[in-house]
Amino acid sequence: MSATIALGKRSLREALRQPDALFMTMFIPIFFLIVNTGQAAEIFPSDSTEFLRGQGYGAFQLPITLLLAASFGMASLFLVEEIEGGYFDKLRAMPIPRYSMVLGRLVAEGAKGIFISSVIVLLALPFGITIASGPLGFILLILLATLWGVVYAGFMQVVALKTRNAAAVNSGGLIFFPLLFLTPNFVPREMLTRPMEIAATLNPVTYLMEALRSLILTDLDWGAILPGFAVVAGLGVIMLLLNVRMIQTYD
Amino acid sequence: MTDHRVPAVRAEGLVKHFDGKEDTVEAVRGVDLEIQSGEIFGFLGPNGAGKSTTVRMLTTLLSITAGRAEVTGIDVAQDPEAVRRRIGVALQEAGLDPRQTGRELLTLHGRLFGLDQAAAVKRTQELLELVELEDAADRVTKGYSGGMQRRLDLAAALVHEPEVLFLDEPTTGLDPASRLTVWEEVRRINGHGTTVFLTTQYLEEADQLCDRLAIIDDGRIVREGTPANLKTELSERLGGTEVTLDDVFLDATGRSRDRAAGEVQEVGA
Repeated sequence: MSATIALGKRSLREALRQPDALFMTMFIPIFFLIVNTGQAAEIFPSDSTEFLRGQGYGAFQLPITLLLAASFGMASLFLVEEIEGGYFDKLRAMPIPRYSMVLGRLVAEGAKGIFISSVIVLLALPFGITIASGPLGFILLILLATLWGVVYAGFMQVVALKTRNAAAVNSGGLIFFPLLFLTPNFVPREMLTRPMEIAATLNPVTYLMEALRSLILTDLDWGAILPGFAVVAGLGVIMLLLNVRMIQTYD
Repeated sequence: MTDHRVPAVRAEGLVKHFDGKEDTVEAVRGVDLEIQSGEIFGFLGPNGAGKSTTVRMLTTLLSITAGRAEVTGIDVAQDPEAVRRRIGVALQEAGLDPRQTGRELLTLHGRLFGLDQAAAVKRTQELLELVELEDAADRVTKGYSGGMQRRLDLAAALVHEPEVLFLDEPTTGLDPASRLTVWEEVRRINGHGTTVFLTTQYLEEADQLCDRLAIIDDGRIVREGTPANLKTELSERLGGTEVTLDDVFLDATGRSRDRAAGEVQEVGA
């Protein structure tokens, strides 16, 4: 465990020394929040749009911003760089549990995720967005977005360990975009066309988005919140098993 | 504590195959080695001969297809973590974390080898002085010159005072002054009782540093002995002609100076 924490601290230092990457991780999702809200706010006025529960359209879009930001982690790219540069082998030649080499990066992604998600939500508050589920809801919101970031970074690490190639890792990152847009990202699921509704229902990211959205728009609604955490837990277990398997069999 | 009765490194019938999409590459085809504690052992060979693959198997970085290897009496495949506690590794590329400072990197390595924070900080300072990098200690390693990176890499491999130090082409790409610094460092480390397993393409380096050496070609050991014995053996075969280690290498690997010269002419044409 101490090796995991030591390597996690190193990964955090690594992230802090790339402030431009950290800035872009927040800038692009916030840019989409502003653009999407600007385009659709007139179509969905808060006083006559029931699914907004009295808030502006920005509140409805905030979960997408959080999910996008959580999916822009650099951990896998730093990992590939380390593999290509040879430092990864140096770590492999040390008497530390191999899993600590992948878990250390995920610990750092978690710490980064808490910071980035909190900043985005706090930036949204002055623009009239409120967290209807209260302080506990705020914590759950940050926790869920952060856990998703860790799970996603973990899957990208698997791609990095498998391909050992920066271009492949970059391409792998694009997988998220279809998943993000096969969701009720602009309107609730029941307002989607039938084919889109089926696709969204099959897409696990939908439940994550709906959980985040419920935390922003309504009081604590466990019927919406728990499926989101269940998705993260299920995918998290798969991600951890794949990471540990990849690092144990890395040759 | 080093047990001088146990060989520092022993390999028996070491084999490594890489499965490609169409065929299998036999990188190492049955290497036998025995290196005594306290030796500087040179491992020479042309590019692609199997040097680095052998080192990577001995240092637990690569699985062994067949055969057996022990480091300080511990089976590499059975107990890799125990082997890792006893070895230091500086691979062909000076693998450093480009976003950490030299000091941070050495302290992290100390922590990963089980030192507490105070001990890791103390050891870091000792090593920085040893490799003369105190002035650059708080700069990120990305800005280090090739020689500085090599010296830091060497220091990182020494954090835990290993019993066996594996150096894979430690001077490749270095200028003559940096190369001499690394040589001095290798001698000094060995003087403290550390066994050194050194791969190199520079025959002069092997001649200067190594107590004993082996030449590998096409995945098999083709010569083994002290530099003096190998030269004497070839000289006797050639009827008393004076020979260098270059001649031994060319003879062992089936290459000749004439053939090498011919290849240069072909390129020039």
